[in-house]
Amino acid sequence: MFIEDIKNDFYNVLQGNRVLLLVHYDVDAICTCKILQSLFKCDNVSYTLVPVGGIAELKQAYEENNEEVKYVVLVNCGGTIDLVDILQPEEDVVFFVLDAHKPTDVCNVYSDGQVRLVYKDSEENIPNFDDIFKDDDEDEENEESESGREGLEAMVERRRERRAWEERRNTLMFNYTQFSYYGKPSACIALELAWRVSRCGWGCVWAASVACAAQAALHTRTPAAALLDAHHLHTHTPAEHSRTGARVTLEKDVCLPLYRRWSLEAALCHSPAIAPALRLHTLAGHARLRQLLADTGIPLQQARQAFRSMDVELRRSLLPALEAAAPRHKLPPPTHTTFLLQRLHSPTLAAMDVVYAIMGLIEHETLPKAEGFQHALAALDTESGENESRRLGCLSAQRALEAVAKLVHATLSARLLHLAGPFSYFIVQEGTPEARVVKGPLWLGVAARWCGAATQGARAVVASASIDDANCLLLGIPPRYQHEPRNLFGAAFEQAATKCGASVSLDHVDSSIITLPLAQRAQFLDALTALLA
Amino acid sequence: MFAEKVIELLKEAERNPVTIDPFNDDKIRQILEEMHSLFRMNMNDANATMENKTLWTTVQVRHSALERNKRCLLAYLYSRMSKIKTLRWEFGAILPPDVRELLSDDEYQWFSKYSMNLASYMRSLGQDIGYNGIDLTENLKPPKSLFIEVLCMADYGKLELEDGDVILLKKNSRHFLPTSECQTLIRQGILKQIT
Repeated sequence: MFIEDIKNDFYNVLQGNRVLLLVHYDVDAICTCKILQSLFKCDNVSYTLVPVGGIAELKQAYEENNEEVKYVVLVNCGGTIDLVDILQPEEDVVFFVLDAHKPTDVCNVYSDGQVRLVYKDSEENIPNFDDIFKDDDEDEENEESESGREGLEAMVERRRERRAWEERRNTLMFNYTQFSYYGKPSACIALELAWRVSRCGWGCVWAASVACAAQAALHTRTPAAALLDAHHLHTHTPAEHSRTGARVTLEKDVCLPLYRRWSLEAALCHSPAIAPALRLHTLAGHARLRQLLADTGIPLQQARQAFRSMDVELRRSLLPALEAAAPRHKLPPPTHTTFLLQRLHSPTLAAMDVVYAIMGLIEHETLPKAEGFQHALAALDTESGENESRRLGCLSAQRALEAVAKLVHATLSARLLHLAGPFSYFIVQEGTPEARVVKGPLWLGVAARWCGAATQGARAVVASASIDDANCLLLGIPPRYQHEPRNLFGAAFEQAATKCGASVSLDHVDSSIITLPLAQRAQFLDALTALLA
Repeated sequence: MFAEKVIELLKEAERNPVTIDPFNDDKIRQILEEMHSLFRMNMNDANATMENKTLWTTVQVRHSALERNKRCLLAYLYSRMSKIKTLRWEFGAILPPDVRELLSDDEYQWFSKYSMNLASYMRSLGQDIGYNGIDLTENLKPPKSLFIEVLCMADYGKLELEDGDVILLKKNSRHFLPTSECQTLIRQGILKQIT
């Protein structure tokens, strides 16, 4: 069931009760969690926060923590699965689901109060209740009560009707579940809640801005939808100034990741938005990069040193110069409108940089996921000065982007991006230093999108990396992902797995990411090719 | 000069307004001796010169010196007493031995009496509403918030809260708990406060 009033039906219900907060490992979920935490802190709602990575972890976390807990809030997990069936909760436990993953499971939608979905997305075409659920007992009773010729005819008629209904139901359900996609970021919904309860500070707005930047950086939403999602961030600016003097502004910025901490050349080489168009894996790629820098009028020496030590004039002219030079090199627009955190006596912080820092923290090379999660929460703080967690995250993100770039260049120049039917696929070579960094779904997704963009983005890309000795991760990126992020691979993976009999684990919340045994990967890819051809 | 010693004593005590000094036994004895001698001299003069009024001024000066000594000694004792009172709130009923050495025997006796009075008062608090006593020394300043955010640093297992809720403390889970429940666990290093 959907909640009508986010304040009275969701937040006020939680007040005065213990809450179990289960948060998925992704940027949007962490931002949402930050906002909810600040609300809970204001109202003294005692909570337990457990990060969860997949459906099995969700189940385990619920079982460990369900004593005396009557209210569970799930952030970016659990919406796409039948919660009541999987968690087997007590009658009086209520689940509030704040999940950007779509499509939502119909059992959650039509649950009578135990599962409550906090936000109703108007883009979702949820089938009507009568079209997909029908009471079986009723029919059988009727069948027995009638007899004779007329009864028989009526029965045949009913059966025919029923078959037609079932057929219709299957088509409806197929249409509803064939694509997996993302809805409005949960952080925007949480911000709306904070606004409704008049506790919307700059910290909350910043967290929501980072979530909006994340959907732009990870291409989870169409550009038009992303623009509409960010709407509330302009309107919900808090009146009061924060103690630290931090405020969020919307400005035009170069879309280079972490360039404020890097050198300009390095940021250009490792930008998932621009680097693929420069085709740096080819011999001419670096010449093209130097040509671009020459066109912008920035000497190589300046471009190679840290951005913050660059000539002030050059720094100032970077934006217009790059904008003017980009069309000549057939590059995508190098600027975008993004959120910046302006702080007193501290360098400006771009929302996109924090997105990459958080990604770097939750998929750190050495740090365990759960510890990275704690650092990621700290990286979202808005206080002035340097933040240890954020620094760690930025360093890790830089390393990861370097690894992604290296991986993609190696894959493309060695022609390891194989064509298979309607999609291309590549496998991260084991044993390379990059494979140690690019092993999680986030960075592997960045790499796959990079490959897609470098090959004009007209084909879907499937990427695979091994997690440990026996298992590997497989994920799919839809064709033209910048414009239509709906992902067909969720359903395709499921069907391919049943066809080839591979023991695939569909544990990830995002259905376009799966894990399967290494030995069965080739077989699975063959089945997938046959299925999609 | 009269009353010079007592000023020295007060100045010494004044130098250390926050912490308590060792009880200056020696100096106090000297001051008392001075007072005794003043008193004796006054007695002699007063008896000898019932008629002769020329010595009266001397007697009066000595007497005011005597009274000044007395006032200053009392001030010294009083300031020490209030310091001892704060000791009770800071250290609790049992003083650490190094602090104990700084007090004189009488002062220590006063301390234990004060401590007992306070304890019985605290025990009597809130009996009408079913509590058996409130520890007033626990929160000397009102806490900023009743709840604090803590991060679990180790697998601890289950923790039962005062209100009967049971929570599982597992590594890297975050909790928002009543401050009073977490203090000991924070000290043990199982929880870490997040500011």
